Amino acid sequence: MTIYKIESKSILAGLVVTAAAFFYGTPLHAQSWSYAEAAKPYAGTTIRVLDEITPLQETMRKLVPEFTKETGILVEYELLGHGDVIKRGQADLFSGRGYYDAIMLHSMQMGPLLAAKALKSIDELIENDALTNPSLDLDDLIEPANKSLVNYAGKQYGFLTWNYNQIYWARADLLSHPDEQALFKTRYGYPLAPAETMQQMRDIAEFFTRKSGETLAGEPLLNDFYGIVLEGIPGGTTFTTVWEVFMNNWGGGVFDSDGKPNLDTPENIAALTFWADLWKFAPPGQAEYSLIDVPTVMGNGIAAQTIAFSDFVLGVDKPGGGAFAGKFVYGGIPYNADNPEARSAGGEPSLMALSIHSKNQEATYLFMQWMIDKATQAKQVAAGGGGVPIRRSSFDLDVMSETTRLSLYNAMATSLQYVRAKPKAPNFFEIDSTMAPLVQQVGIGQLTAEEALKDGQRKVLSICNDCLLPE
Amino acid sequence: MKTTIRPLENRWYPYALLAPAFLVLVVVSLVPFLFAMFLSFYEINFGRIGGFAGFSNYSRLMDNERTWNSLWVATKFILIAFPLQFILGLGGALLLNKRVWGRSMILPLLFIPTMMAPIVVGLVWKVMFAGSWGLLSYNIVERFDFLQGTSVFSSPDYALLALALVDVWQWTPFMMLAFFAGLQALPVSPYLAAAVDGATPMQMFFRLTLPLMAPLMVVIGMLRFIDAFKVFDTIYILTAGGPGTSTEVPSLLAYRMSFEQWRIGESAAFAVLVWIGFFVLCSLFYHTAKKKLNVF
Amino acid sequence: MNQSTSQSLVTTKGPIKRISKQEKVSVFWTLLLIVIACIVLFPVLWVGSFMFRPDAAMFARPTEWLFDPTMVHFQYVIENGFIGYLGTSFALASISTLLVVVLGTPAAYAFARFNLRFRDDLFLFVLATRMAPPICMVIPFYMIFSKIGLIDTYVGLTLAYLTFNLSFYIWVMSSFCKDLPLALEEVAILEGHNRFAVFLRVVLPLLRSSIVATGMLCFIFAWNEFMFAFMLGGQEVKTLPVAVPELITTQGVRWGPLAIVGTLSLVPVMLAVFLLQKHIVRGLTMGAVKG
Repeated sequence: MTIYKIESKSILAGLVVTAAAFFYGTPLHAQSWSYAEAAKPYAGTTIRVLDEITPLQETMRKLVPEFTKETGILVEYELLGHGDVIKRGQADLFSGRGYYDAIMLHSMQMGPLLAAKALKSIDELIENDALTNPSLDLDDLIEPANKSLVNYAGKQYGFLTWNYNQIYWARADLLSHPDEQALFKTRYGYPLAPAETMQQMRDIAEFFTRKSGETLAGEPLLNDFYGIVLEGIPGGTTFTTVWEVFMNNWGGGVFDSDGKPNLDTPENIAALTFWADLWKFAPPGQAEYSLIDVPTVMGNGIAAQTIAFSDFVLGVDKPGGGAFAGKFVYGGIPYNADNPEARSAGGEPSLMALSIHSKNQEATYLFMQWMIDKATQAKQVAAGGGGVPIRRSSFDLDVMSETTRLSLYNAMATSLQYVRAKPKAPNFFEIDSTMAPLVQQVGIGQLTAEEALKDGQRKVLSICNDCLLPE
Repeated sequence: MKTTIRPLENRWYPYALLAPAFLVLVVVSLVPFLFAMFLSFYEINFGRIGGFAGFSNYSRLMDNERTWNSLWVATKFILIAFPLQFILGLGGALLLNKRVWGRSMILPLLFIPTMMAPIVVGLVWKVMFAGSWGLLSYNIVERFDFLQGTSVFSSPDYALLALALVDVWQWTPFMMLAFFAGLQALPVSPYLAAAVDGATPMQMFFRLTLPLMAPLMVVIGMLRFIDAFKVFDTIYILTAGGPGTSTEVPSLLAYRMSFEQWRIGESAAFAVLVWIGFFVLCSLFYHTAKKKLNVF
Repeated sequence: MNQSTSQSLVTTKGPIKRISKQEKVSVFWTLLLIVIACIVLFPVLWVGSFMFRPDAAMFARPTEWLFDPTMVHFQYVIENGFIGYLGTSFALASISTLLVVVLGTPAAYAFARFNLRFRDDLFLFVLATRMAPPICMVIPFYMIFSKIGLIDTYVGLTLAYLTFNLSFYIWVMSSFCKDLPLALEEVAILEGHNRFAVFLRVVLPLLRSSIVATGMLCFIFAWNEFMFAFMLGGQEVKTLPVAVPELITTQGVRWGPLAIVGTLSLVPVMLAVFLLQKHIVRGLTMGAVKG
C-alpha cells in the first residue's frame, strides 16, 4: 500500500535530512511538511463533518473553505444544535450508517460510543509522518481537558476541538456600586466583590434578592430581583453542573475510585443541600430553566450572578446584545472555602472524532489537524472577536488581550485549570436522566438532599454496578 | 338507517377497493412494527443486534418505576384534556354552524392553533407563561401572586394541568373543524321531516344531530384519544417532564430512552406494550360502540 | 340546524347565497365567535408581533405594549435560507396527502358500504397501524431506511408519513361515507352501471367536501411533523419544522426569526383552508336530495 511506501521513503529521506540538519543546523524536515503536500493523494475527495452550532463553530464555518483551497479536499461542514448534533451524530455512528466521516462529540458521549466501538483511534494516523503535521504542538492543548477527553485504554481518538467551560458571571454594575458595597460590608463583614468562594457567592445571592419597590444600586426596583440564577430543568446540564461544580467541590462525586456509584455520601449531601439552598435566591421558574435560558435571564437583568457556560457570553455580552451588555464581570468557578483542594469546574471538553465507518480516514484526519492548527485557531479566535481557546498559546493572541473581555478570558483560564472530561461511562445518559429530576426536586423542596441521593444511589446501582469503561 | 349495500355479484369488488391501501399499510406500518417487535426480544447494544434476550427488555421496562409513572401521567393528562377538547370542539362546531357573518374568515383563524407546528405551540406558551419573563406570568401570575412564588410550569400541582390546557388550546380547533364538516354533511331530509312534525331545536339536536353525528364523533374521539397519548413537543419545551417527573409523559421517556440512551430493545418493548394496550382498549370500545351506539 | 334554514332549502339550488328574511345573520353569535377568536389567538398575535419587535422590547419588564418596529429579523431569515424549506415542506405534504386520498378513499368507502368478511378485524388493523408511539418507531425506521438507502429522500419520508396519515384518513372518511344517501348508489346500480363507475361518478362527487376536510387535516399533520422529518431527513430533505430548532441557539431563542418562520409555516396552510373551506361548507343543499 502507498502508506508503507511513503513511510520507508520518508525514513530514508529523514535520515538524509537529519544528517544535513545536524551539519547545517536547520530543521528542513519540519519546514517541508504542509497540508497541501500531505493532501495530494486525497485532493478531490469530499468529507462530511457534523459539528455543533455555537458562535465558535459559526466562525469556524467561515474558515472551512480555506482548508479546501489549501488541500483540494471538499468539506461538507454541517452544524446542528446541541440536542440535534447528539441525536443525529449518535444515530449515524450507532446504526452503522456512516454518512459522516467525523462527528463532534461531547465528553459525556465518549463512554457509550467507545463501548459501541464506533470510533476509530488515530494512533496509526499520528505515526504516519506524511500525514501528521510536525508542528501541531499537542502539548499546547489545554490540560487536563485534552488528555482526559481523547485518551482511552492507551489509544487516542482525536484532539480537543471545543473547550466548553463554565464560569461565574456577575453584574459588575451592582457589585461596584458604592451604596451596595457599603451595605454589604456592614452586613457581612467583608468587601463586596465577585465571589471567589461558594460561601461568598451565597452571601451575595442572599444580599441581592429583593422585592419590587426596594432599592437596588440607588434605584427603586420595578420588579423583583434575584441574587442568583442556575439551571434547574430536569435535563440539559442541570445534573452535570451539580456534579462538577458542587459535588466535586465538596469532595464528593458520582463514582468512587472503582467506578461504582457512590452517591449517598455526606459530602454529596452537603453539596446538594448547598445548591438547593441557592434556589431561595433564584427566580420562580428556575425549575424550567435550561442552559440556554440562564444566559437569557442574565441578559435580561433579572439576576445578579450565575454559573453558566462561557461561550454563551459571546452572544449576550456584546454591543447590541441587550440592556445589560457590558455590565458583567466574570470569574472562575468559585471554590469551596471548606475544601479548597477539591477545586473543580464544570465544562464539556469536546472533540472531532473519526467515525469507524469513514471511508476517507486520511483526508478527515488532515481536516481534524487543520481545525486545531495554531494558524487556524489564531484566525478563528481573531475572527470571532475572541473565543474559548483550546490552546494555551491562544491566550497570548492580541485579540484575547482586549480590555473589555479581559475579565472573561481570565475567568476561562481559571476554570479551565480544573475542567476534566466526564468519566467514560457507557450508561452516562441514563444516569444523568435518573439523577436530574431527583436533584431538581431537592431544589424545589419536594425532597431532602438525603432522600434524593439515597433514591438516586439505589436507581443508579440498578443501572450499573461498575459504571466506567475498563481501562 | 340502512347504510350497507346488499350482496354483490362481484364478491371481490370491495376487496379490490381495499387492496392498495392495505398493501401500503402492510409495507409501511406492519413491517417496521414487526421489526420493532423483533428488536424487543433481543439485546440491542447501542444499535448492534446482539443475542436473544427473551423477555428481559420487557421485564426491565416494567421494573422501572418511571415507565409506570409515565403511563399514570398520560392517563391524568388525557382525562383532563380529552373531554374538554371534545366538548369545546363540538360547541365550537355548533357555533360555526349558525348563521354567522364572516365565517369564511373566522374559520381559518380559529383553526390556527391546530395548524401551528407543535414545537411553535410550545414556544408560544413558553413566551406566555415562562417563569419571570413570560408575558402572562409577569402580568398576571406574579402580579397577583397566584402561585406563591413559583411559576406555572414549575409548580408541582399545576404544571400538568397547564400542559393539558395547552393541549386543549391546540387541538380543540381540530375537533371543531371535523365536527363542523360533519354537521355540514348531515342529510337534510330527517330535519325536514322533524320540522314538519313540529320538533323543537333542542329535540332535533338530541334526537337527530347527536345520533347522526355519532359515527364521526366516535371516530374522531378514538383518534384523538390515541393521539393525546403521543404528546411530546409542548412538554419537552415547557417542562421537560418536570417538576421531578410529574409531567414526564411516555413520549418523553421514550425519547430519552431512544435518542439519548439508545436503549433500543427497551424502547421497542415499550412500543409493543403500548400498542397492545391500545389495541385491547380500542377493540373493546369498538365492539361496544358497534352494539350499543350503533356506529360502525 | 334549525327550522328556518331548512325551509329555505326546498326552493333553492346550489349554495345558498340569498339570505331570506328568516335567516338574518345572527349578530350575537357572530360577536361571540369574534370574541372567542380574539382570546384564543391572543398568544399567537403577541408572538406574531415579535416579527417586527426589537429584541430588547420582547420581554421587557414592565411589558412594552408598543414598540418601534424593525426589519432585522426578516434579514436574518432570508440570509439563513429559511425560505427554501417552505418548498420542501409543501412538496412533501402535498405528495403525501395526495397518496393518502387516492389510496384511502376507496378503502374508506369499502368499509362503510360493504359487509365484508373480517370487516371489523380489518378496520381495527387499520387503526392499529397508528397505535405504537411514533417516537419509539423512529429508530427502527432509521435502521431499516439506512440499510435500504432511504434516509434523506422524499420517497422515504413520504412512506413514513403514510404510517400515520393513511389510517387517520380511512377512519375519518369511513364515517363520512356512512352519511351518504344510499339511494343514489342503488339507483345507479339498478340502472346497470359498472360498480366502479358508480364509485367514480356518483359517490366521489358527493364525498368531495369530506375529502377536502379530511385531506386538509392530513396535509396539516404532514406539514407539521417533526420527529420523522428530523431523523429520516437530512440536508436534502429539510422541512420547516426541522428548521425551527436551528433558532434555539446558545444565545437564546431567536424569537424574531422564530415568529417569522412560524408565520411562514402558517400562511400556506391558512390560505389552503381559506380557499378550500367552501367545499366543506356546502350549505344545506345537496342537489340530489330533491330526488
